[in-house]
Amino acid sequence: MYYAEDGITDEDIHPLGTGVLWKTSESPVANEFSPKNGLRHRGSESQWGATDIQPMQQSRSFQPWSDTDLQDEDEDKPVKEFCFSMQRKREIRIKQEKQGAKKNTWETWSRDYKRSFRQFQSKASESLQFLVLWRRTINTIGGNFGTGIASYFTFLRFLILMNFVTFLLIGGFIVIPNIVVQELNVVQTSQSSNTTGLCLKYSPNPQGLERYYTFIMDILMGTGFMELTYMFYGFYKNTLVILAAFYYNLPLAYLTTTLFYFLLSLVWIVVRSVKGFKQSLLTENTELSNYTSKIFVGWDFCIKDPRIIKLKQKSIRYELQMDLEEENMRRKHAERTTSQLAAIYSLRVFLNLVVICLTGAAFYCIYLSTVNSQELLINSSVKGNFILELLVGYLPSITITAANFFLPIVFGIIILWEKYTLNWEIRLTLVRCVFLRLTSLGMLLYSLWDKITCSGKPHDAKCVTCGYNIDEYKCWETRVGQEMYKLLIFDFLTVLVVILLVDFPRKMMVDHCSCKPIQFWGQQEFLVPQNVLDIVYGQTVCWIGTFFCPLLPLLNTVKYFIIFYMKRLTLFTNCRPADRTFRASSANFFFMLVLLLGLAISWVPVLYSIFAMTPSRACGPFNGQTNIWDTIPITIQTLPKTAAEFFLFIGSQAFAVPLFFLCCILMFYLIALASSYGELVKTLKDQLQMERSRKMFLRQVTY
Amino acid sequence: MILECRKDKMVISDPCLCLTPAVAVFNISIFRDCIKAEQQKDGKGIWIRSSLKSWGTSKLFSLLNSLIHTRLFNRYRDLAPQLVPDDYTNKPDVKIPYELIGSMPELKDNPFRQRIAEVFSEDGDGNMTLDDFLDMFSVLSEMAPKDLKAYYAFKIYDFNNDDYICKSDLEKTLNKLTRNELTPEEVCLVCEKVIDEADIDNDGKLSLEDFQHMIVRAPDFLSTFHIRI
Repeated sequence: MYYAEDGITDEDIHPLGTGVLWKTSESPVANEFSPKNGLRHRGSESQWGATDIQPMQQSRSFQPWSDTDLQDEDEDKPVKEFCFSMQRKREIRIKQEKQGAKKNTWETWSRDYKRSFRQFQSKASESLQFLVLWRRTINTIGGNFGTGIASYFTFLRFLILMNFVTFLLIGGFIVIPNIVVQELNVVQTSQSSNTTGLCLKYSPNPQGLERYYTFIMDILMGTGFMELTYMFYGFYKNTLVILAAFYYNLPLAYLTTTLFYFLLSLVWIVVRSVKGFKQSLLTENTELSNYTSKIFVGWDFCIKDPRIIKLKQKSIRYELQMDLEEENMRRKHAERTTSQLAAIYSLRVFLNLVVICLTGAAFYCIYLSTVNSQELLINSSVKGNFILELLVGYLPSITITAANFFLPIVFGIIILWEKYTLNWEIRLTLVRCVFLRLTSLGMLLYSLWDKITCSGKPHDAKCVTCGYNIDEYKCWETRVGQEMYKLLIFDFLTVLVVILLVDFPRKMMVDHCSCKPIQFWGQQEFLVPQNVLDIVYGQTVCWIGTFFCPLLPLLNTVKYFIIFYMKRLTLFTNCRPADRTFRASSANFFFMLVLLLGLAISWVPVLYSIFAMTPSRACGPFNGQTNIWDTIPITIQTLPKTAAEFFLFIGSQAFAVPLFFLCCILMFYLIALASSYGELVKTLKDQLQMERSRKMFLRQVTY
Repeated sequence: MILECRKDKMVISDPCLCLTPAVAVFNISIFRDCIKAEQQKDGKGIWIRSSLKSWGTSKLFSLLNSLIHTRLFNRYRDLAPQLVPDDYTNKPDVKIPYELIGSMPELKDNPFRQRIAEVFSEDGDGNMTLDDFLDMFSVLSEMAPKDLKAYYAFKIYDFNNDDYICKSDLEKTLNKLTRNELTPEEVCLVCEKVIDEADIDNDGKLSLEDFQHMIVRAPDFLSTFHIRI
């Protein structure tokens, strides 16, 4: 790096500068307030000219230029942060250099170090910007459609990255060792114990006549030859590999990698959401700065297209009108009489019951479809017909998607009758949609569990031999993996079909047909919350399914990758900006919250399978054990004595209970701290107000 | 000016600006040839970096001026090619009138373009020199710090230049934001609400401190008060 800044020489030629000599400023103070110095200084001029009593008001950037040395803080402050004209900033820079030359070696060194560190930081962040995927695309989207929609795409990019990292972990620790072991034909010691012969019967390849479409069917349903690939849990073996000094316990690797990437996802999401939380905490009460943010912060200076500018102006006007109307409504609500209130509350209770009934009905449909899909597939009545078989196989996915499509529309109509204010309407609808999406998945898993473990009754006729329903589920983990795999594929197909067959025709109709109903329907609006719920749902499916189907993160990465481009395409060609803008800062926090919810829900089936269910005897890396979790205690016992005792101690109650109490105490302390900070903030605000009124009073008194 | 040679381009950054005004994409071999030619004149055969150091700034930049197409300078010059000379070594005093500045695609349809030009111009009339131009895009770039942006945003919204955003300033801002499509009562109501929310010292208008205090609570400000060039 080379400082071509030796321009403090006699030549004083600035290549891009306009002609002002870089002389050391010996001009008298009066010069600084000459009108030539421009608008920038009129502010400081009036402040200083009119009132020079309140030194507490000065911010450094309003310091008058004087012949004396720069203040200490100004010496090291980067020149670009001063609020002055270019000419003034160059003079300040000369001053900084001159003063810097006067210092001793230590100060010079620290100043140089600080400067180079600052430059290194800015350079590092600049170069990191280039590594960021799709930066320009997201910037364009933000410029044209607003930061809210751009945050959806940022979120999608984050999920793609997370899925890819998960796939790398799984590939590195589970799939590749397995491949290596298979290819090298290394001697493997099997760890499965002898079990009842009946439980061991498992042959996914059906004997007999194979139709020509079996290959496609197998790919779409994950059955047949797919079960014998690395795709599904059932293919992995319960083996130890001992090669000279190299010892690799495949089941242990499988289990610990699963736990590790769950933890990694949790940590990553929490770290990211803390940033969003800090920002939304800063905005405090959005109701307190609602109008000011809309007016002063609402206008996006990046927009160039005059069409979009008009739309933006329309949307700002619409939002302000909505807010004023909401004020009105709130005032009217406050004036409701008791009888009116009673009527409204009873109506709301009734409508909530309706919502619960509808959700319950949807769950029952999902249960029926899951149960019947398996039975119908086994009975050969539909085996002949390709389309029917596909339909029956995908029945649970179809039911879930249909429920998640129709019910939100119904919720949207119901909420209108409940007479809430606009903000509450949006929030409540969102809560209901999130609940519906995530619990419909839970319902599917519950119905699977019901069939696999004979409703949790281990002594039931079908489950008594092997601990799980051996007739219908010879390798139940693979079966669960197949359901998740089918859900993923169907979700992907739905997105594609909706974009191709609904959005594009809608746009074409709106463009070419001028009849009233179609123009009223209008162009598609890109609704951020619904789209976010879609991808969170897909991610939850992936998290649940990864334990049972290790290559699912790779499929998910590819799926989200394609969805990014499809959504971008549909956004630019088909959509108009939303009427009500979705604020980016609150958006990020909301996305992370829903994602955390999805993660929490995805842990339940996986942890339950690990701890409480009997693994399949006939397949998988854990066959022969009573529980999947048993791998860990068995491994611990093979460790040296102190290590084994340490781990046993950590797992015991003697450790867990004090840890729990410690966490409780810490939590109470943090809650107390947070509330005291809140009090402090309030006190400081009051003090601020007092200072201001004091200043006003003094100002009046002086004149 | 800080000059830095990367693989095939040269970056000039001015510490007075928040953005790099020049990412010169030019063939560095041409530059090397020119330097070699100059070196032969001086009789020195040294590597670029030290050879640059041994030159004076003026010599270096007069050479660069003939080679480098600096991005922002080009944008400025393209607005009025007949007014703006290629060579700034003689410190010309050139101002581009507001009409031409306001015709830039980044500013053409911006409802606040006149205020922006007025705030950043030296004389407050919208006619900008190159320094003013650079300053404007520096403050409106991604890298500018929040305080700097808040200061200039306040100046932009202060239509009557009295260092306070009073009710009439707010009304003008609102009308620009909504294309005059709000009714006068609505405009009045919204202005009152804004002053209620943001005015801490209860003087009926917003001072710079009130504005900065409000900006602290708006994390979106950095991304909206931003023009990309």
